[in-house]
Amino acid sequence: MPRLLASALSLRRDPRLLKLPPYLSLLCIVVGVVWLFLLPLDDYSRRTYISENALLPGQVHTYFGGSDQNVFRAYKYETDELAGKGNIEVNNKLESIAKGLGLKVGRQNFTYSSAGNTHSGQNIYAILQAPRGDATEAIVLVAAWENVNGELNRSGVPLVLTLARYFKRWSLWSKDIIFLFTPDSIAGPQAWVDAYHDAHDSSLVASLPLKSGALQGAIALDYARETRFKSVHIVYDGVNGQLPNLDLINSVNHVAGGQMGMGVAIQEMWEHSNSYHDRLQTMLRGMLKQGLGLASGPHSSFIPYHVDAVTLQPFGDGWQDEMAIGRVIEGTFRSLNNLLEHLHQSFFFYLLMQKERFVSIGTYLPSAMLVAANFTIMAIALWVKSGQPEVREVITEKTETAEEAGKVALPNPHVTVERDLFLPLVLVAACQFAGVVPLYLFNHLSESALIPAFIFFTILSAILPFLLSSILHNSTTSTTTQQYHLIRSFSLLLLGMFLSSLATLNFSLAFLVGVFSAPLTFVRPCPNSPSNGCLWSFCLDEKVGYGLGEVLRQAAFAWDVTGTYTPVVVWCVWWPAWIVGVVSVLGRPDTRENKVKKA
Amino acid sequence: MRPSFPSLLLSLLSLLCFSPYAAIANASSAADSISTSISDSRSDYHEQLILRPLPLSALLASFNFRSNTSLSAFEAHNFRFFPRSLGQILQHAGTRELHLRFSLGRWDAESWGARPWNGAREGGTGVEMWAWLEAETDEEADHKWLTLTNALSGLFCASLNFIDSTRTTRPVMSFQPEGNHIDANATNMHLLYGVLPHEVVCTENLTPFLKLLPCKGKAGIASLLDGHKLFDSSWQTMAIDIRPVCPEDGECVLQIEQSIDMVLDVDRSKRPRDNPIPRPPPAHDMKCNTSKPYHAHDTCFPTDSAANQDWSLSQIFGRPIKGTCPLTDPTVSPVCIQVPDSRIVFASEGAIEKKNPGQTSRCFDFPAENDFEVFLPAPETQDGSVIVDQHLVKPETPLLYAERSFTGHGQERGGVQTILRNPSPDQEVEFIYMESLPWFMRIYLHTISARVDGQPGKADSLIQEVYYRPAVDRARGTQLEVRMTVPPASTVFLTYDFEKSILRYTEYPPDANRGFDVAAAVITILNKDKNGGNSRFAAYNLRTTTLLCNLPTPDFSMPYNVIIFTSTAIALAFGGMFNILVRRFVAANEGPKSGLKKGVDKLKAKLAALFKKKSSAAAVAMTAEKKTE
Repeated sequence: MPRLLASALSLRRDPRLLKLPPYLSLLCIVVGVVWLFLLPLDDYSRRTYISENALLPGQVHTYFGGSDQNVFRAYKYETDELAGKGNIEVNNKLESIAKGLGLKVGRQNFTYSSAGNTHSGQNIYAILQAPRGDATEAIVLVAAWENVNGELNRSGVPLVLTLARYFKRWSLWSKDIIFLFTPDSIAGPQAWVDAYHDAHDSSLVASLPLKSGALQGAIALDYARETRFKSVHIVYDGVNGQLPNLDLINSVNHVAGGQMGMGVAIQEMWEHSNSYHDRLQTMLRGMLKQGLGLASGPHSSFIPYHVDAVTLQPFGDGWQDEMAIGRVIEGTFRSLNNLLEHLHQSFFFYLLMQKERFVSIGTYLPSAMLVAANFTIMAIALWVKSGQPEVREVITEKTETAEEAGKVALPNPHVTVERDLFLPLVLVAACQFAGVVPLYLFNHLSESALIPAFIFFTILSAILPFLLSSILHNSTTSTTTQQYHLIRSFSLLLLGMFLSSLATLNFSLAFLVGVFSAPLTFVRPCPNSPSNGCLWSFCLDEKVGYGLGEVLRQAAFAWDVTGTYTPVVVWCVWWPAWIVGVVSVLGRPDTRENKVKKA
Repeated sequence: MRPSFPSLLLSLLSLLCFSPYAAIANASSAADSISTSISDSRSDYHEQLILRPLPLSALLASFNFRSNTSLSAFEAHNFRFFPRSLGQILQHAGTRELHLRFSLGRWDAESWGARPWNGAREGGTGVEMWAWLEAETDEEADHKWLTLTNALSGLFCASLNFIDSTRTTRPVMSFQPEGNHIDANATNMHLLYGVLPHEVVCTENLTPFLKLLPCKGKAGIASLLDGHKLFDSSWQTMAIDIRPVCPEDGECVLQIEQSIDMVLDVDRSKRPRDNPIPRPPPAHDMKCNTSKPYHAHDTCFPTDSAANQDWSLSQIFGRPIKGTCPLTDPTVSPVCIQVPDSRIVFASEGAIEKKNPGQTSRCFDFPAENDFEVFLPAPETQDGSVIVDQHLVKPETPLLYAERSFTGHGQERGGVQTILRNPSPDQEVEFIYMESLPWFMRIYLHTISARVDGQPGKADSLIQEVYYRPAVDRARGTQLEVRMTVPPASTVFLTYDFEKSILRYTEYPPDANRGFDVAAAVITILNKDKNGGNSRFAAYNLRTTTLLCNLPTPDFSMPYNVIIFTSTAIALAFGGMFNILVRRFVAANEGPKSGLKKGVDKLKAKLAALFKKKSSAAAVAMTAEKKTE
């Protein structure tokens, strides 16, 4: 044992140890990425299963249909008449129908402002009180007047009204059912859910006049088409990459696919052959959506409040009619009605790669963690390196290999030079805090100013590194190699820390940012090609800025309304890391002067 | 003449089975010497069913059964109509007044108006009971309360025995004794109040309830009570009230009043029992709005749900009334219907209709031996639309609307908000708001505030008096009583915040992720004495709905996983280690040989010996040969 310790201690002093980290980092990145690509294989993903026994999806007969279709047609005429009319007028009509069914009706006004635009409207909702129940629990059926693409929910609204009439006849509901009609698909549901949980700003969003019990689940219906359909598309991405309980998706899948015999699709994969390629594509689409963290439908706003929700969208040309999707909703509601406890049994962190295949967090998390770990490894290596005598750097400049440097440094390995921390700390901290400026600007400018601001900011962030590095170079005390090491070390340390914590909250975002920042691990000062840094800076800013105006407007909307935190990650984690990275690429460490000073 | 042996046995048996009816039959036939006369005994019991159609095709049915026994007879264990099983429990636990409630569903005050009996005969969801006990000390009262709850738990098949100290409170302002107590303010009267919000009221509670009646649900209006219908109603409450009543000119009596109030959905109740599924009706049976331009054979804008439909007793209860209970007071009509005088009501043959002029109510008397049936036809309509006001008694506006809900989200803290609306344009409402909260909801009393809607800022003048008894962890719950007023035609928000505590691992129920039920708040509206005195009496009671509070819940599979993992590790490590430590190692050839191996070895040895002998014999022969050479 002592011999082992002694050899370990001596290994600690071994300069060969220092040349290891870059390879280790590279290995981490490679393994992390390969890991992700292995997930769609049968050996690494699992089949989905219903974990909550109480759900019993698809075990009940559904009776929706028959003469209810006549009622649906009538309500559809009413809806068609309302097309293009004002929000209040629509709500008046909906209220009269809902009151005629014997439901309690409430309305709620809301106003949001984002990027200089105001999004205002009025939600209307009707509560079907559980016939024998107490107001302790509730489930929600949402029909937005317009779906996320701005199309009128032409069949969805009348179908929800018909279902409300049908559900009223049953006496078996153990939970209240709330029928929510919102003018749009994002702001309206958000305002309603916020107000339901009293998390709203009462100057912008009105409080709810009527309330029920704790929300146990929500289904949103986005049925804008008028023709028959083939399959149903389940949209499940929540805000900030949060997901509903897998049991809910499985139940809908079970009812729609198993009981009703219609196809089920996820992540806009209209055709899915269950091949490796399709699975990977589904998974990557899911990851991209999760990483962006935008609201994808009326259900998205429910998920942050721990209310599991999905949106159903019929698609494709087939022979299924409105009654079929009505029966899917009926079956799902019967399942939710069975719940004794809040959905908690199944997974909340998962990646779906087919409607019946998933990987859980335990399997996929290591890939993001490995990518994040590579930054930490490199940061530690740079810290150690910065503590070593400067002498080898003279030679390094010519040979440019760490191996050589190690050999030269051999004679006096035990000496640790004092680290000059002030400049690196100030620089890294300044860059981190500078991220607040774009964060604030892009979320508070009006829409017309967004694109000019973005172009200006792109140019600025391209010039900023040059400015910084020339300041660093020309200041009275020129920056040393050690300081460059420390700058990179601190920056990478922060990046690794942020990303590994982010990976537990939003795996996809952490992974994507990690992969995009991977080159930062390997940057080193190369003053001979300053155009390099410029190029990188541009192309990466372009990646974020593609689609521009719309993306910026959406990002501001997501920040203001749904509370998406992706901009924080982009501007306060990724952007500072890049600025520091480019500064160190452009860096011209003044070693000669340093030597003189030392002497 | 001596009574024959079998008849004696029969009367003994009937005495033993604790049936008041049997007892009274026996008493009246066999012994005339009992102090009460027959004319008195008639007024000792009466029952009445009041039917009131409500808007949105609902029907309120209020069953009321009341029987008396004089206090002196009760003390002497002569229970008469009073159920003996209950009477003995009350005597044993020293109970002076008892109120027991079993409730399900919620009263929709917006459409149904004021509550029946001014809310005095109802409880919050689940089971609620309060009693005045006679005891010298608090400890004795607690002990008697425990006895009472446990005994009643057995009698009513309800989990009343779970009303422990954490669910028991001693209200100070909310409840007043209903009966006449000679020493009402004496220190030996203890009021205890317990509530079980999560108790599901079901058929097993109805059966013992009916058993307490003199006619047991076999005759009279109680014959309509059927678990299928009662528990399919939108709202129902079963109440038992026992109180001493002292008339001015007579002997004090102990009165037991049993009542069942239920609101039936007429559509739902009319569905036949063998086909309860609300399948879509055939298209030609649907009531459509034909004035719509798009109306066609396959398109129908429905109009049916708002209509107030026709019904008859046997349609909605599944059977007619089976005569009257022979013990009931004949001066009280058994069935009354509250509909406007203009409406036609058909009753079965032999029934006598008695209209109360001025009041929108009519009552029916019918012969004891006949089945009784009432049919209310649908009102005639002009131009297809029904004007509800003309065909229904307009529901009375309640004095106060109350709605309670949670605010906030997350598992650390939360808030409770009660919206109290006074519909009266000129009358202020004064009331007592009482909450009995479980101990794991730790309320922040400083956050309690009341504000009038539309007027920002706290209005401290609304809250006049607060009685607060803080919770003790795992020992008693929070008790909060607030006396407050709501100005005319305004809405008041009463809010307070609380913190959720973390329970111990074993304190979670099996369905921990469901949440924990919080009992309904009790609101007692006070009516100022008309004589200008200080004494106030409860004019109207109402209860809010219960709430479901989510506490931080651990992942229960985690400890299970840990246990399994550690057990496996220990089993492997310890097993291996123990095995190595205890086992004695010996070389293979040193150890004793086992049975089979021994046999094999023996065989081998024998064979070897045989072989050796042969070879040695051969060798001997060889040597002998050599020698001979």
